[in-house]
Amino acid sequence: MTIEQQRQGFAFTGSGFPTDQESLRFRWASSRMSAQIYHEPNSGTSPAQEEEQSGSEPTRELRNMVFPMALKKAVRQVQQMQAPAQFSGGSWKQKKTIFVRKFKSNVREFLYFFSLWGKTLQKIGGNFGGGVQSYFIFLRFLVVLNFVSFLLIAGFVLIPSIVFGSVDIKPEISEANVLSAQIHADCLKYDPNPQGLVVFYEFLLDLLSGTGFMEYSYMFYGYYNNTVVVTSLVGSDFSYNIPLAYLLTAVFYFAFCLICIIARMGKVARVAVTTGGSDVRSYSMIVFTGWDYGCLGSKATKLKQRNIYYRLQVDLEEERLKKHAASLTLCNKVTLYSLRVLMFFVAIGLIVATFVAIAYATTFSQENNNVQGFLGLFYTYLPSIVITTGNFLVPLLCDQIALLEKYPPSATVVVALLRAVVLRLVSLGILLYTLWNQIECHGSTDTCPCHYNHNNYQCWETSVGQEMYKLTLFDLLVSIALLVLVEFPRRMVVDHWSCKLTQWVGRQEFVVPSNVLGLVYGQTVVWTGALFCPLLPLINTVKFVILFYCKKITLFYNCRPALRTFRSTTSAFFFLAVLLFGWILALVVMIYSVAEIHPSFACGPFRSFLRMWKIVPDSLAILPKGTRDFLFFIGSQAFSVPLFAVSCVFMCYFIALASIYGKSVAILRAQLKLAGQDKQFLVKQIEKMKLLSPQDNEGKQD
Amino acid sequence: MGTTASQLAKDSLSEYQELTFLTKQEILLAHRRFTELLDRDERNHPNPRVPMEVILTLPELKSNPFKTRICQVFSTSEDKDGSLTFEDFLDLLSAFSDSATLEIKSHYAFRIFDFDDDGTLDYGDLEKLVNCLTGETEDTRLTSEEMRQLISNILDESDIDKDGTVNLSEFQHVISRSPDFVSSFKIVL
Repeated sequence: MTIEQQRQGFAFTGSGFPTDQESLRFRWASSRMSAQIYHEPNSGTSPAQEEEQSGSEPTRELRNMVFPMALKKAVRQVQQMQAPAQFSGGSWKQKKTIFVRKFKSNVREFLYFFSLWGKTLQKIGGNFGGGVQSYFIFLRFLVVLNFVSFLLIAGFVLIPSIVFGSVDIKPEISEANVLSAQIHADCLKYDPNPQGLVVFYEFLLDLLSGTGFMEYSYMFYGYYNNTVVVTSLVGSDFSYNIPLAYLLTAVFYFAFCLICIIARMGKVARVAVTTGGSDVRSYSMIVFTGWDYGCLGSKATKLKQRNIYYRLQVDLEEERLKKHAASLTLCNKVTLYSLRVLMFFVAIGLIVATFVAIAYATTFSQENNNVQGFLGLFYTYLPSIVITTGNFLVPLLCDQIALLEKYPPSATVVVALLRAVVLRLVSLGILLYTLWNQIECHGSTDTCPCHYNHNNYQCWETSVGQEMYKLTLFDLLVSIALLVLVEFPRRMVVDHWSCKLTQWVGRQEFVVPSNVLGLVYGQTVVWTGALFCPLLPLINTVKFVILFYCKKITLFYNCRPALRTFRSTTSAFFFLAVLLFGWILALVVMIYSVAEIHPSFACGPFRSFLRMWKIVPDSLAILPKGTRDFLFFIGSQAFSVPLFAVSCVFMCYFIALASIYGKSVAILRAQLKLAGQDKQFLVKQIEKMKLLSPQDNEGKQD
Repeated sequence: MGTTASQLAKDSLSEYQELTFLTKQEILLAHRRFTELLDRDERNHPNPRVPMEVILTLPELKSNPFKTRICQVFSTSEDKDGSLTFEDFLDLLSAFSDSATLEIKSHYAFRIFDFDDDGTLDYGDLEKLVNCLTGETEDTRLTSEEMRQLISNILDESDIDKDGTVNLSEFQHVISRSPDFVSSFKIVL
C-alpha cells in the first residue's frame, strides 16, 4: 500500500489535517513535550486523592471501574486470590480527606442558609433571567457593605462620642495651630438649636431636610466634639483621641470599601474568564454541565429549566444579530455608522444641557437659602429635583436613541451604562463643585477672615452633610413614589383596559442598567457624605433594604419577563467597575475637603486645626521615636522603590505561569484531535486487513 | 424481622465500602430506603429487583428530567426495563456521590445523555437532551430553527474529529473545563 493511496483514503477528513503517518509522529513528539510541562492528566483529583491513589492502589482501581457491581465483585475476587487484602476500610489519610471534604460542604451549605435573601434571588433568576438577578445580587452586596461600614463607624466614632460625651470638656482653641493671632468673633458664632416652640409641620420639614432638631445631633459632623480623653487611672494608660479616630475611621472606611469592591471584582472576573474567555465553549458547557441534579421538587426543576432556556436564548439571539450585522452591505453600513455618530452627538448634547441646568439650580438654591416654609423646602430640594429629573428623563431618551443605533444586546447595555454613568456621576460632581464654590470665599483676609463663607455657613461641613442626606432621602422617596404612582397604575390600566394604545405601551420591563446606575449614584452620595454625616451608611442600609423589597414587588407584580436579556457574567464585572468610578469621585471630594479647606471654627472635632489632615502629623509627633522613624521609613522612597520592584517580579512570574497553562491546554487539544484521527486510521487498517486476509487464504488454498 | 435479606451482613457492608465511593452510613441509609420500596413478600427474596416506576417515586429522582435514563443506565436487567437491584442502586448512588471522581461522573453522564445507546451523542441525542434541559412546556421550548442552530454550535465546539457526533473523550474534554460539574452531578439521599 503506497503512501499516496493512504493519503487518498483520508481525503474526506479534510485537507487541513495531517495524514495518518504524520499524525502518529506528531502525537509522539507532542506527547513528549506535554509530558515535560504537564505531569499527568489531571482529572479533577485533588493532591490528597492522589496520595490515596499511591497508598491504596487496588481499592482505587476497583472503585474507578465503570462496571456494574457484579463485575466489580468478580474482579475483586480474582485480585484477592492473587494477593491477600492488605487494606481494610481505608487508611487514616482517606478518612481524613473524606472528613475534610464533608466538613467543607457542610460549612458551605450552612453559609448558604444564612446568606441574605438566597431563595428570593433564586426565584428571581428562574423567572426573569440572569441579568435581573445580577442587579439584585449587586444590591445585596451594597446592603452588606453599608451595614459593615456602619458597624465600623459606630464602633470607633459614634460609641466613644456617646460614652465620652458625658465628659465635660470645653472646646479649646490651641493657639499654636491658628495662623492669625486674633480670630474674628463672627467665626465662632454657631447656633443651630431652634428657638422657641417648633410648629408641627416644621418638625416634618426638619426631618426631611436635616435642619432644626436634626442638625445638632449625632447625625452630622457639627455635633462631635474635639475631645481627647486621657485617663489617669492607676495602672491604665488609656487615651482616645476622638478627632483622630474620626478622620482615620473615614480613611479606613474608604479603604475597606475599595478592598471589598476589588475582591468582588476579582471573583467575578475569574468566573467571567473561565466561562467567557472560553466563549467558544459556552453552548456545550451549558448543555452538558448545566443541570443541577440536586434540584428537588417540581418547582425548583421548572425554575432551573427556565433559567437554562433563557441562557440559551440570549446566546442564540446574540449570534443571530452578529451574523446579521456581518451580512450588511456597504451602503447599509455607512448609513448605520453615520446614524450612530449623529446619535452620539445628540446624547452628548442632552447630557451637557442637564449639567447646565444642575449648576443653575444649585446656585439658585443656595442663594435663596433663607426662605421659610414649604417654598423654602422646595428651594432646598431644587438641586435634588433637577438631578433626579435629569437622571430619569435622559436615560429614557437615550434608550430610544439606542433603538435606532441597533447595537447587539451586550453592546447596547454597555453603551447605555456608559452614558448613564457619565450623566449621573458628573451631575453629582457639578452639584458638589457649585456647593464648594459657595462655601469657599476667594477674597483677602479682610473680607474672608474665617477662610470660608461664614455668613452663609457657620458650620459648612454640616451643610454639606445635609445636602447629601437630602439627596439620599429624595432618591428613596422618588423610587417609592414611582412605584405607587406610575408602575402599579400602569399595570392595572394595561391589564383591565385593552385598547391599541395600552397594548403598544404594554407592561413594564425591568430595565437593569438604569436601576444599577441608581444604586451606584446612591452609594457615591453616601461615600461623599460619610465624612460629614457619620450616620449616613446606616440610613443607606435601611434605604437599600426598603428598595430591595420595593423592586422585588414591582418586578413580580408589574413587570413582564424581558424579551431581550443580556449576559450577566460580564455585566456583573461592569457594575463593579462603575461603582469604582463613584468611589474615585467620592475619594477626590474627601481628599479635597480634608486637605484644602479650613474646618469650621464653630463646630466639629477639627475646629482648632488649620486643615483636617493636620491632626495626623500632630499625633505622630507624640509617638515614641522608634515608631516614628519606622513609619517615616515605610513612607520614604528607600522602602517603596524596592517594594515596587519586588511586586513587578511577582507579576511577571504569574503572567509567565498563565501563559504556560494556556499553551499546555492548546497542546492537549491538538493531541485529542490527533488521537481521533489515529483511531479512524486504525479502524481503516483493520478493515483493509480483513479484506486482504480472505484473499490470502484463498490464494494459499489454490 | 431479622432475616438476612433485610439486614446487611457485615462483610457485604465492608465489600460495598471498598467497591463504591459511599461511606458506611450512606450504604446503610441506602439499604433502608431501598427496603422501604419493596413489598412484604419481596423483602424475603435474596436479590429483589424493583421496577422502574417504583424507583421513580423516590423524591430525589421524581422531578429529575433524566430519571428514566438514569434508571436505564444503571439497570443490569436483561429486559432493559430500568429495574434496579440493591447493587444497581448502590452503583447509582456511588456515581452520584460526593467523593466520586470526575472520570466516573463524566462517563456516566455520557451514558445518560446517550439516549439511543450507540456510544456517541448524535443529532437526535442532543435534541432530546436539550428538550429535557429546557422542559417541554409551551414557553420554554426552542423553535426548530433555534434547535438546529444550537446543535450545530454544540457540534462545532465539541466535535473535534468532525465526524458529526460527540464521543466520550470529546465529551470529557468539555466537562473537564467546567468548574462545578462535580458538585452539580450529585444526588444525596
